[in-house]
Amino acid sequence: MWTPARQTAIVGIGATEFSKDSGRTPMQLATEACLAACADAGLDPTLVDGMSLFSMERNHEIEVARNLGIPRLQFFSMVNHGGGGGCATVAMAAMAVHTGAADYVLAYRAFNERSWHRFGSGVQGHHASPEANDVSFSWTSPFGLLTPAQWAGMFATRYMHQYGATSEDFGRIAVADRRHAANNPAAFFHGRPITLEEHQASRIISDPLRLLDCCQESDGGVALLVTSAERVQGLDQEPAWVAAAAQGVAADQWMMRSYYRDDITGLPEMGVVAEQLWESSGLGPSDIQTAMLYDHFTPLVLPQFEEFGFCATGEARDFIADGNIEMGGGLPVNTNGGQLGEAYIHGMNGIAEGVRQIRGTSVNQVDGATNVLVTSGSGVPTSGLVLSAEGA
Amino acid sequence: MLWRMTGDDAVADSALDASLQALVGRQGTVQVAGDPVDGPAIRAWCDAMSEGNPSFTDEAAAAAGPHGGIVAPPATLNMWTMPDRIEGGTAGRDTDQPQHAAYQLLDDAGFTGVVATNSDQAYERHLRPGDVVSAQTTLSGISPQKQTALGIGYFVTTEVAYANQQGEAVGSLSFRVFKFRPGTGRSRGDGPAGTTPDDSPRPERPRPRWNQDQAWHWEGLRQRELRIQRFTGSGRLVHPPVVADPVTHSMDYDWVVATGRGFLYSWTAPEHPKAPAFDYPLVVGLVELEEGVRMVSNIVGVPPDQLEIGMPLEVCWLDSHDDVTLHQFRPARIERREGTLTMGEVTVGDPLPPCPIDVTRDLVVLGALATFDQQDVHHDRDAARAKGLPDIIMNILTSSGLVARWLGDWAGDGAVLRSLRIGLGVPNHPGDVMTMTGSVTGSVAGSVTGSAAGSVTGSVETGEVGAVTVSFVGANSLGSHVHGSAELVLPEGRRGAGENA
Repeated sequence: MWTPARQTAIVGIGATEFSKDSGRTPMQLATEACLAACADAGLDPTLVDGMSLFSMERNHEIEVARNLGIPRLQFFSMVNHGGGGGCATVAMAAMAVHTGAADYVLAYRAFNERSWHRFGSGVQGHHASPEANDVSFSWTSPFGLLTPAQWAGMFATRYMHQYGATSEDFGRIAVADRRHAANNPAAFFHGRPITLEEHQASRIISDPLRLLDCCQESDGGVALLVTSAERVQGLDQEPAWVAAAAQGVAADQWMMRSYYRDDITGLPEMGVVAEQLWESSGLGPSDIQTAMLYDHFTPLVLPQFEEFGFCATGEARDFIADGNIEMGGGLPVNTNGGQLGEAYIHGMNGIAEGVRQIRGTSVNQVDGATNVLVTSGSGVPTSGLVLSAEGA
Repeated sequence: MLWRMTGDDAVADSALDASLQALVGRQGTVQVAGDPVDGPAIRAWCDAMSEGNPSFTDEAAAAAGPHGGIVAPPATLNMWTMPDRIEGGTAGRDTDQPQHAAYQLLDDAGFTGVVATNSDQAYERHLRPGDVVSAQTTLSGISPQKQTALGIGYFVTTEVAYANQQGEAVGSLSFRVFKFRPGTGRSRGDGPAGTTPDDSPRPERPRPRWNQDQAWHWEGLRQRELRIQRFTGSGRLVHPPVVADPVTHSMDYDWVVATGRGFLYSWTAPEHPKAPAFDYPLVVGLVELEEGVRMVSNIVGVPPDQLEIGMPLEVCWLDSHDDVTLHQFRPARIERREGTLTMGEVTVGDPLPPCPIDVTRDLVVLGALATFDQQDVHHDRDAARAKGLPDIIMNILTSSGLVARWLGDWAGDGAVLRSLRIGLGVPNHPGDVMTMTGSVTGSVAGSVTGSAAGSVTGSVETGEVGAVTVSFVGANSLGSHVHGSAELVLPEGRRGAGENA
């Protein structure tokens, strides 16, 4: 994907609180988050003329626009494949504002996926008409492979077998995230770090995944405001420049069930994203000070380090050892607590944390964070961003 | 009949206990087999168990084997003196045997149900055709009244010493049965006691959806064919199916019927949330077929802790809906080893290859007949039901025989079974699948002494053999049917290899 390097920026971030029961409708959460993002930027919401969404968003842009009193929208899009589309909403917004399709674009996610609908319950029903997407579940659902955790478990077993990774290696991701969340008042798990022993003692969800390998369904909303270089002046925040943004799908791609490739231990769709991000930004792994890596399930975090070149294939377990991904380590990851610790908002909260690191306002601020990597859903058609403190 | 414990029953049970305990320690007269060990009976046994060791059936091969000639399978030890086989026929059957006096007392008190629970055999000398087996039984113990899943009853234990016509000890058996009162089991719902599956309606599994692009695959499964899409131009196999050959874009395809053999590529065992349509533990595997494609399938007949990536699997079937059949995979039946496992190849902790055994009605009935077991619960469904069982059950001699066969398949023709200790759990009913799993729990190299290895004593005395202990479980859909341990005498690795060279 071609994206204009450092020509566009995220200039506003907004969020509701994260909870297990918001007590409000998803529409109210979306509206609150969008208003907060505009307020953060110091922008009159009625100037927003673009909306960038990704699928599973039930609060349509026209409803949010009614609530915000937006007189006209001239760009609106919906990227497919749920959590893989988070960073892609910023990519779409960046292209829109850079080309002049719109001036100010809001991207958001808001839901009650805990109190209204248990997102993690997976696909247990079926649609009446067997179109291709319904058919695709026929190869797994009749066998009891129904939930995202179960889909992830199949990859995890093979990864362990092939590279000698263990449940404890997965646990180190969870420990790092929860350590960071413990320091974040906005995190659901604020003040509640975990130990590796607690991870190992947590119950099996889908062997080899344990409870503490899995993000927890959350209620909440996050919104981002994107604009172009010529409009960042006069807004309230230092811009978090979009140094690169990209989407990726690889050969024989399935939605978290890409089981038929020669090798199933990697995330080649993330590799497609990585290649574009490095090329487009002119940066590489050594230029990144902190990364917000999609962490719905810990085993699918490990191959992200490999796909982005932070370490060689199969060596992520060594890369993350000895606190290397915790504060003070070589590459602190998910400094907001990630989706395991802060909230599972389909990765939009990770983008917001990336912006805070660029601004220098994170509760777990990494010294000298000038370039931040953010990724979206792993194991699905996905996307990623490099945010930077320096514009063109 | 509905049994209730009343004050009168309690008094009666107390008197029964006293009568039973008075029998403990009594020794029966020596019973002599009416017919010698013979080839036809051995061959019938081997046929029933699918036993392939030529030492039991093939004169020439047996002559070159560890026994120097044909021997009876060790697990047949106690079948030559089964009740209908002893000298004098059925007339002499119950007259002087202490356990039968106990059984009679229990039958009279309403404890008419019977299942074998334990069989611990030790083999001292292999039986050969022409041997005439004699047995002397001691009633060694009767338990207090117990409540089990099957019902209220008593465990009755006998010790049997076997000898040949020269009076030489050939082996021993400790045998335990549970005599129970039908209808007193810890039943679920209103079904027969203990062993009945809960027949409340359960939701169906998620229904697979297909259209004309994949209908042929699902139609194949209905016919128990595993069809893989093949593009006719390139010969490329694709699963799950597509519309066009991803390389040539040809849309001309047919299918090949897969052999159904493959290996485990990866797996996960969902535990939470539990979906009511599924039984747990549930294993979902990624199977790589011989043909080179992969498919997601349930892996059945093997507990998650026995799964190993790379283990060989074979297809089996599940009729999941009125009009849908799903493929399932289970451990592939192991090929019988060529040659003999040697001590040098065995390490404590080694798993034995899992092996599924289809419990057909034929196997249950023919197994009972081949082991001279004419108890009606092994061949007569009505009689089984009258005794509180939902269907006929496999007899313990067949279970023992199947375990022995599986151990022999693993260890090879030259391995010698020295003991077989078996505990029985849930019954094996027709239609079920019992999967054997096990591991090596002990290994003693070069220290087998005396007559323990029977007719391989020549090697034993020169220290050329060792012994391994294995523990095993044979589990079916109801749980563990058989569990226990066995000792096998194996040749030493290095020396054996040198001799062969």
